[in-house]
Amino acid sequence: MNCYEHTIIIKQDIPENQIKLLVDKYQNLIKNNSGKIIKTEDWGLKNFSQPIKKNKKGFYFHIKFEGIGKTIDVLEKNENIDQMLIRFLTIKVKKHDLEKVYFEKRAL
Amino acid sequence: MKKRKNFKKNKKSTGSKISLFQKSDIRFSKSCPLSGKNAPVIDYKNIKLLKKYISESGRILPSRITSVCLKKQKELSRSIKRARLLALI
Repeated sequence: MNCYEHTIIIKQDIPENQIKLLVDKYQNLIKNNSGKIIKTEDWGLKNFSQPIKKNKKGFYFHIKFEGIGKTIDVLEKNENIDQMLIRFLTIKVKKHDLEKVYFEKRAL
Repeated sequence: MKKRKNFKKNKKSTGSKISLFQKSDIRFSKSCPLSGKNAPVIDYKNIKLLKKYISESGRILPSRITSVCLKKQKELSRSIKRARLLALI
């Protein structure tokens, strides 16, 4: 099992109840594909430093999880065709750093 | 010839600031500031640290100005590019 950090940016004009469903959907995708979620952080609505596809703001969600290569294949395949997402980023880390929080978070 | 000599002298006196890109309020030490015992962790989420190593226009500062060692400079540029992708910097 490898440790991964995954960040997604959701479009600003999507209602809150739909955002929760969207995050739940990806959390379940990880769980169903032999993954294990360790922590989910909500960074809230943030301004972009430069506009991306004419968007100026976005909701940031950060998921720390363990999984295998297949987990990410399925996850990114689904995210590529999702129109509600602006961008996503997956990074492999050696060890999860659960103490440091760089952005203000709200309880999920 | 005289003029040339004066020019050289003037250049030496203003030697504290190496580059136009260097910010005057941050002074970099001679040894690598990111390696050692109590060095900060380089991470793409640690924007406060990364902003020290980019110019005002957003370019990555060369290690000959910031005196970051090669190993940490590679790590630094990688994490700056990750932060750019997420539009954090």
